Amino acid sequence: MNLRRAMAGLHTWGGLLPSWLLFVIFFAGSLACFDKELERWMRPDLPVAAEATAASSLSLDQVRDWLLSKAPDAHALYIHGPAPRQPFWWAGYVPADEGEFQSFALDPVSGAPLQETVGGAFFFSLHYDLNAGTPGLYIVGMAAMFMLVALVSGIIIHRRIFKDFFTLRPGANGQRAWLDAHNLFGVTGLPFHLMIAYTGLAIFVSLYMPAGVQTAYRGDAMAFYGDAMSLFHREETHRPAAPAASLDALLADAQTRWGGAQPGWISVEHPADEAAVVEFRREGRTRVSDYQWTLAYDAASGELLHEQTPYAGGYYVYTWLSGLHMAQFGGHFVRFCYLLLGLAGCAMLVGGLRVWVSKREARGGRGLVLVRALNGAVVGGLPLASLALLYGNRLLPAQLVHRGRAETLVFFGAWALVAAWVVWRRHRLGNDRRMLALGSLLALGLPLLNLLLTPGNSLLASLPRGDWALAAIDLALLVVGLACGLLARRRPAAVPAPRRARRDALGEGA
Amino acid sequence: MSQNSSPAWGTASRVSAAVLGGYGLSYASTAFLSTFLPMARADRVAVASLLCFAVYTAAVIYVFAARSAARAWIVLLGMGILLGLATWLAGDYAVRP
Repeated sequence: MNLRRAMAGLHTWGGLLPSWLLFVIFFAGSLACFDKELERWMRPDLPVAAEATAASSLSLDQVRDWLLSKAPDAHALYIHGPAPRQPFWWAGYVPADEGEFQSFALDPVSGAPLQETVGGAFFFSLHYDLNAGTPGLYIVGMAAMFMLVALVSGIIIHRRIFKDFFTLRPGANGQRAWLDAHNLFGVTGLPFHLMIAYTGLAIFVSLYMPAGVQTAYRGDAMAFYGDAMSLFHREETHRPAAPAASLDALLADAQTRWGGAQPGWISVEHPADEAAVVEFRREGRTRVSDYQWTLAYDAASGELLHEQTPYAGGYYVYTWLSGLHMAQFGGHFVRFCYLLLGLAGCAMLVGGLRVWVSKREARGGRGLVLVRALNGAVVGGLPLASLALLYGNRLLPAQLVHRGRAETLVFFGAWALVAAWVVWRRHRLGNDRRMLALGSLLALGLPLLNLLLTPGNSLLASLPRGDWALAAIDLALLVVGLACGLLARRRPAAVPAPRRARRDALGEGA
Repeated sequence: MSQNSSPAWGTASRVSAAVLGGYGLSYASTAFLSTFLPMARADRVAVASLLCFAVYTAAVIYVFAARSAARAWIVLLGMGILLGLATWLAGDYAVRP
C-alpha cells in the first residue's frame, strides 16, 4: 500500500475520532491560561480594597487555627496566602480518613469564607480530566496520543507543507477553503501542537507508563520520587503533638533562607501528631522548571529537618517539559501566546472536521449526519455552556448549599440543551448561524449583568481604577460577543453543495 | 493486507496492533531503557518513561505503513519480546543505583 495513502487514511479516521474530545481539551486549556483571572471574575464578593494593597491582615497562624477548628484530626493542612493574581487565601485540609480534599477561599481582610464557586479551576480540570477524575485522565491521555499520531501522519501526507502555508482560497468551494484553513492553522501551530501534546502526556507519564518504576524500583513509586526530587517524609508516631510553633515565624526563617522569595503552598502533615511536619514551597514563576526549594520543619520545635536540593538529570527534564506545558514562566505575554495558539488549535480541529463534512456533502457518505450533529453539539455547545456557567456564577443565590455543584449543573445542563437542540434540528440548515447569534447575545450580556448585579466589578469601576486583570475578562467577552455577532450576520445560511449530493445528505438517516 | 482476508479484517487487525501492540512495545522499551541506560537509577526511569510516547507514536505510524497487518504484528511482537527478554535476563541489574 502506498505510504501516503495509508497515512491519509490514518490521518482522516484517527484524526476524526478524537477531534471532538480534543476540541474540549483545547478550548478548556486555552481558557485555563487565564484561570486565575477567571477565578477573580467569578468571585465578585472579593473586597476591592484588598487588591489594591494585596496585603492581608490575616496571619498564617490564624488560618491554621481556623482549619484546625474545622478538622482537629486532619491528615494534612494546605494553605496558600494572597498573591498578585490571586488576592485571597486558599485554606484546605485532607480529612483524617484521607478522603476528598476540602478547600475554602478566605476573604483576605475579614478571614470569612468567600461564597462557593467552581471558579477558573473548572476549566483547568475540564482540560486535563474532563472533571471526571482518574478515568478522565486516561481518556484525555488517549486523545493526546491520537493527536500525536494525527500530527505525524499529517506531516507525512502534506507534501507541499511550505507552499500550502501561503495558500488561502476563501472564495474557493467549501471543501478547498476549509482544507486551506485546516492547513494554515495546522502548519503555523505545528511546533506548538507537537510540544503541547507531548508535554501534556509527559505530565502524567507515571500514570500512563508505569514500566520504568516497576522495573527499576520494583514498583516502589515513593522511593523513585525520594531519589528524583529529594522529598522528605516522616511517619506518624500516633502520640499527641506538642504545642505548635508559630507558622509566621517559621515562614520568616524560610524566606531568609530563600533570599526573600514569596511562599507558594504551605502544608502541615498530620498536624495532631508528635511527628507533625511543616513544609514551605517557594513560589518560583520565572523559570520553565519550577524548582520549589521545599523547606521542612518540625511543627513543634521549629527545627529545620530537610532542605530540597535542585532538580537534576532526568527529573529536571520532566519538570522542564511539564513547565513548558503549564505556561507559568513568562507572565501574561506567554499566557496570551498560549491562549492564541490554543485557539488556533481549535480552529485547526474545526477546519479538519469541516473538510471531512464538505467532502462527503459533495459526494455523499456514511456518518455525515452524526458528524454534523457532533460538530454542532461540541463546537457550538461547549462555548455556549461556558458562557452559561458565568451566568450561573452571577445568578445563583449567594448562600446556596453546594453552590459549586449547582454551577457545574448549569454548565452541563446548558450543554445538554444545546446538544439536544442540534440533534433535533440535524436535518435543517442555519444551526451555526443561530448558535453564533446566541453566543453573541450571551457574551455581550455578561458585562451588562456584571454592571447590574456587581457594579464594583464592572468595567465602569475596574477601568478607572486600572484593574486590568478584572477588566480584561469583560473586554474579552465584549470582543467575543461582537465577533460572533458579525459572523452570525455575514455567514451564508448554507454552503452550496451539488443538488444531488445535498439530497443524499439530507435524506440520510431520515 | 493479505489476499485471503477481507479489508475490514485487515483494518481491525491493524487498529488493534497499533493500540495494543504499540502500547506493549512502548512498555517493553521503557522497561528496557530503565534497565540499560548508562545513568543513575532515577534518571534512567525518568528518561525512559518520557521517551515512551515517541516509541508509541512511531509504532502506530509503522503499523499503518507496514505492507500487511500480519507483518506489523510480527515486527511489534518480536521487538517487544526481545526487549522484554533482555530486561528479564538482566534481573537485579535493573535496580542498581
